[in-house]
Amino acid sequence: MGSPFDINGGACVAMVGKDCVAIACDLRLGMQALTISNNFPKIFNYAPSTYLGLTGLATDVNTVSDLFRYKVNMYRLREERHIAPQTLANLVSSSLYEKRFGPFFVSPVLAGINQTTGKPFICGFDSIGCIDFAKDFIVSGTASDQLFGTCEGLWEPDLGPEDLFETISQALLSAVDRDALSGWGAQVYIIEKDKVTQRLLKGRQD
Amino acid sequence: MDKIVAQYSRSAHQNEFYSEQEQQDLTESLPPLSLKFALPPVDNSSAFLRAMTDDHANPSCPIKLAHGTTTLAFRFQGGIIVCTDSRATAGNWIASQTVKKVIPVSRLSRGEDKATNDPTPGLLGTMAGGAADCQYWLRYLSQQCTLHEIRHKRRITVAAASKILANLTYAYKGYGLSMGTMLAGVTPQEGPALYYIDSDGTRLPGNLFCVGSGQTFAYGVLDANYRYDLSEQEALDLGRRAILAAMHRDAYSGGFINCYHVKEEGWVHHGFDDMNPIFWKTKLDRGEFSNVTSEL
Amino acid sequence: MRSIRVSQPSASKVRTHLFHLIIIIGRVPKADRLSSATNGIVLATEKKSSSPLIDPPSLSKISLITPDIGMVYAGMGPDYRVLVDKARKVSHTGYKRVYNEYPPTRILVQDVARVVQEATQSGGVRPYGVSLLIAGWDEGVEPEVADAEKDSESPEKIPGKTGGILKGGPSLYQVDPSGSYYPWKATAIGKHATSAKTFLEKRYTEGLELEDAIHIALLTLKETIEGEMNGDTIEIGIVGPPADHLLGYEGVEGAQGPRFRKLTKEQIEDYLTNL
Repeated sequence: MGSPFDINGGACVAMVGKDCVAIACDLRLGMQALTISNNFPKIFNYAPSTYLGLTGLATDVNTVSDLFRYKVNMYRLREERHIAPQTLANLVSSSLYEKRFGPFFVSPVLAGINQTTGKPFICGFDSIGCIDFAKDFIVSGTASDQLFGTCEGLWEPDLGPEDLFETISQALLSAVDRDALSGWGAQVYIIEKDKVTQRLLKGRQD
Repeated sequence: MDKIVAQYSRSAHQNEFYSEQEQQDLTESLPPLSLKFALPPVDNSSAFLRAMTDDHANPSCPIKLAHGTTTLAFRFQGGIIVCTDSRATAGNWIASQTVKKVIPVSRLSRGEDKATNDPTPGLLGTMAGGAADCQYWLRYLSQQCTLHEIRHKRRITVAAASKILANLTYAYKGYGLSMGTMLAGVTPQEGPALYYIDSDGTRLPGNLFCVGSGQTFAYGVLDANYRYDLSEQEALDLGRRAILAAMHRDAYSGGFINCYHVKEEGWVHHGFDDMNPIFWKTKLDRGEFSNVTSEL
Repeated sequence: MRSIRVSQPSASKVRTHLFHLIIIIGRVPKADRLSSATNGIVLATEKKSSSPLIDPPSLSKISLITPDIGMVYAGMGPDYRVLVDKARKVSHTGYKRVYNEYPPTRILVQDVARVVQEATQSGGVRPYGVSLLIAGWDEGVEPEVADAEKDSESPEKIPGKTGGILKGGPSLYQVDPSGSYYPWKATAIGKHATSAKTFLEKRYTEGLELEDAIHIALLTLKETIEGEMNGDTIEIGIVGPPADHLLGYEGVEGAQGPRFRKLTKEQIEDYLTNL
């Protein structure tokens, strides 16, 4: 059997625009070559304008997304406020490092807008919590090599929400069309300061 | 001592005309197989090759071969339908979406599609497993078929052609060849004939085969709807639908649907079409693939 | 087998151990509308040493917990020291190591209050014999309101940050040996707390400036303590604007000095001169 990261397949990407961020994922859930489901979203919402994408082993995607739902709910009850993207990033990092010697097989991607400063924020993580702060884009999943290529080619600074949607969608669809384990449709979130738009992309079904 | 001397001495007429080895090569209809390729300079070359190339047993093997495929062929009253996908993968990387996995095995056509719809005489071979292995040995088979035609002044039977290939894969058994091939043709002696040959040395005649990582999905559709008395259009549609199902469910199959019809006068190509529009049309028109989400 | 004490130590019992008076002025938004970031808190206390032979600077009742939060006590000094250690530790293990930021004041107060409460319910331990005052500043998560918007609101409202996790700004809490805690605008704990609070009720106004608050705090102390007031006997801690000079370095973008700091002996004596 191959790497646990490559069993179920999946891809996720986040991008920064002008006063907005976007995060997108594919919808495939597979077992090796066999496609089990084409309705397995990998992006989860933890606060208004704060989203976490999780790719990797599907069982860990479920476990980790539930774990953070619990942790963020506890945070919100205790502190009577929504968690900021930067704070969630550090929570994700420290929670993943807790499992340093038996990690969750996930590669999270975080995208959000800080409600205090109004500034976009994205970052990525490895499976044991090293944060990768980026000013442009973050990729993860079995199509990450392809996503690096498409994002390097398509992304440019200060894209507005509509252009950012076009860019992230093309980047994701082109990338997953060159990966056997991702695709089968995609979901895109465009996050602005007080508006979030969710869109479903019709992708190739092979 | 004599042995060592003999090793370095040459016979008087050693360099005149052809060597014994070369004469044998020229006169034998099949070249001696195991000496034609450089083998790894290790004690047990077949075990070494398997370790290097078999990514099922060893996922980190250095030589990754293209494996994923769906191909199918079946006999029916109007001849034989041959359908394939067009995806080539190396690991999870999709190396190509436009591979021609049906290879004409014929002296008269070296794979070029003719502009007309006239049938092209000859056999068809399909490609599954290692792309290089399939391409190389089907070309080799093509040569042998041509030589057969010249020597015997008649076209080779599918049985004979498949036997050449099966003998060959058997000779290389254990050396890491990877191929699952179907040979289809219609000859006066046999009528429509279909054979399955793989790199283990298996050779099977049959009515209906699916080969490749997506074979199970194709079998599912094919077995459910197959009848011998299918009309030509029904048979082509069934072949396409089976490939479509495999492309959808199998990660290593996809791209374009390639369709051929083999009949008495030869084979006819019936299109190389992108699966995506066909998929959505099938879903919308026939209500199939209801598992696919089209709204949030 | 030891009996488990379930009753609280009586307030009077705690009081008998108090030998200091603490006066606090809290929540003092600056009147200047152009700058809303100069609000603050004062913690002021009398350090009474049991012997004239004790070296005064080594005594200290006000402690730094995080860069923006400080603490002072009335009651048993050793118990306080233990609580300071626990507060500092829990602010890291329970918060900074998880979120990579310091806890908001209320969260720290809750964590300390839990430690205090657990001592009232656990076997083999006695409750902590201290009351605490915890003062801190929160950055707040709500975006700052534009000046124009502020003006359009009713003129009675105090502009700027007035405390709390959401809005940000100064907040002041009292923690009791029972584990209960209260937020205050201004309060006092210790021997003469009642009279000090009465005094504060008269002098406290909304929209006090930090300098005025220090002044009022010293006046309140003066009302209630016997003995001389000087830089050695009075201790003041303030929550104010970021003290970048305490950072030890400069030129680092985004670096902010601590908001909670203790005043030096000289600074205290300056204030006492103007009393």
